[in-house]
Amino acid sequence: MQSTALRSRLPFFISLAAGIALWEIAGRSTSQAFMVPFSETVMRLIQLAGTANFWQQLAESATLFGTGFALSLIVGVPAGVLLARMPALRVGVEPYIMILYATPMVALIPFILSIMGFGFAPKVLVVFLFGVFSVLYNTVEGARSIKPELIEVARSFRSGEWALWREVMLPYTLPYVMTGVRQAIGRCLVGMVAAEFFLSSTGLGQLIMGASQNFDTGGVFASILIIGLIGVGLMRIGLMIEQHFARWRQ
Amino acid sequence: MTDAAKSAAAMPAAAKPDAPRKSSALVPRVIAGIVILALWELIVRTMAPSYVAKPSTVLLAFPRVIVDPVFLKAFGETLLSVAQGLAIALAFGTVIGMLMGRSQIMEKAIRHYVNGFYAVPMIVALPLFSLWFGYTGATRTATVVFASIFAIIINAADGARSVPREYLEVARSFRSNSWRIFPEIILPSSMPYLLAGFRLAAGRALIGAVVAEFFISVGGIGHYILYNSRAYRHDDAFVGVLLLAAFGVGFEVLVGWITRRYMPWYRRDEAAV
Repeated sequence: MQSTALRSRLPFFISLAAGIALWEIAGRSTSQAFMVPFSETVMRLIQLAGTANFWQQLAESATLFGTGFALSLIVGVPAGVLLARMPALRVGVEPYIMILYATPMVALIPFILSIMGFGFAPKVLVVFLFGVFSVLYNTVEGARSIKPELIEVARSFRSGEWALWREVMLPYTLPYVMTGVRQAIGRCLVGMVAAEFFLSSTGLGQLIMGASQNFDTGGVFASILIIGLIGVGLMRIGLMIEQHFARWRQ
Repeated sequence: MTDAAKSAAAMPAAAKPDAPRKSSALVPRVIAGIVILALWELIVRTMAPSYVAKPSTVLLAFPRVIVDPVFLKAFGETLLSVAQGLAIALAFGTVIGMLMGRSQIMEKAIRHYVNGFYAVPMIVALPLFSLWFGYTGATRTATVVFASIFAIIINAADGARSVPREYLEVARSFRSNSWRIFPEIILPSSMPYLLAGFRLAAGRALIGAVVAEFFISVGGIGHYILYNSRAYRHDDAFVGVLLLAAFGVGFEVLVGWITRRYMPWYRRDEAAV
């Protein structure tokens, strides 16, 4: 059992090792200002992890991400669910949600900067705006997937509002909501970095910016590696949540 | 013949229930639009400083900005860069994705990297690109490529994997070789996936270009928005956002239309990640 698990993982480890080797070779054969080999990036990472500053920045980023993401769920899910239950309203606002979902939210950052200035609130707003329309758009999409017949049948069997929610609305919309949640995780992360780059510079974004302004290529690589790993980890979690709820989707 | 007859017969049947729905949807949509704009106008008028963009002033600025040569030049520059980056990403991404979809070794070798890079927020690469390419348009193009290529690879791989085995078997039994199987079977049969990937990539490419223009001042619409909003000309800057949104939505609509028009058998269940 364990050996088959190991064997199925083998290609992954080989490809990981090959990638690291490639990075190492490329880093050693080019100028230090251009690229830093893997070994040095890891060294730099360990060095960074030893500083209190790094953990403080990480906590700041996590707070920003967490607040913005939570807000986009708190607003997006109830609003989406409400729209699911009110078809007239949904039909009306659907195109606008679609437009906002497709609009590159980064374009709003300069406005937020000049209206709200620097501070925590404008940054949370950026993260929130990046995430909320994914949740809303997918929730509404889920609501649209409910066949009207199902509601009619439930109604004709005299099911109350609560039963209707439990038996029809939730099972149908929840998988879509979770797709929205997964997308929102990714988008909020982009929003977090964008806010830290373009509004007041804090957190992991500041780590990268600072390193890049000092032409500290090793620092840039190390901080990109960290954000990359966080991104991959969060994406994993998002996919797991989505797949968990997708089981009853058919 | 039968297929054509079938789809011709299905067309009006499919269009009929759709037609009354559309006209009945129009009224609530217009009302909702008016309410949203009115709320926006009201909130900004009562609570925000006068320079903040609101529908009435944006509307007044629109005809002036849209013919302003500075604005048009900026917009053209961004679009050109997005088109260049997307072309590069499409060319390489499709080939890499197809190889991944059709070859076990390729799949195993790079799948994790593709998924990994796809999950990384693309803008973290900006400082690195600006170190590599300097504060030039090349950095913007690189960002566009980086932002869009992984979505294309993932979808191209899914498409190549989805080619029905019978098609390939028939082709082989007629002694077709790989050089013909690829353009004549694999490519057309994975077209819906490629389109889905393209739609996703185009949105990300646009974001990439704007972010790069914020970061390095090389002109373009991102820089236009940044510059004018700093100068408290929010209405002018907002016209730029409107056009960006129009392009974002335009891509969605265009790809949706192409899919429906040329691949009506393909249902719009999302292939994209």
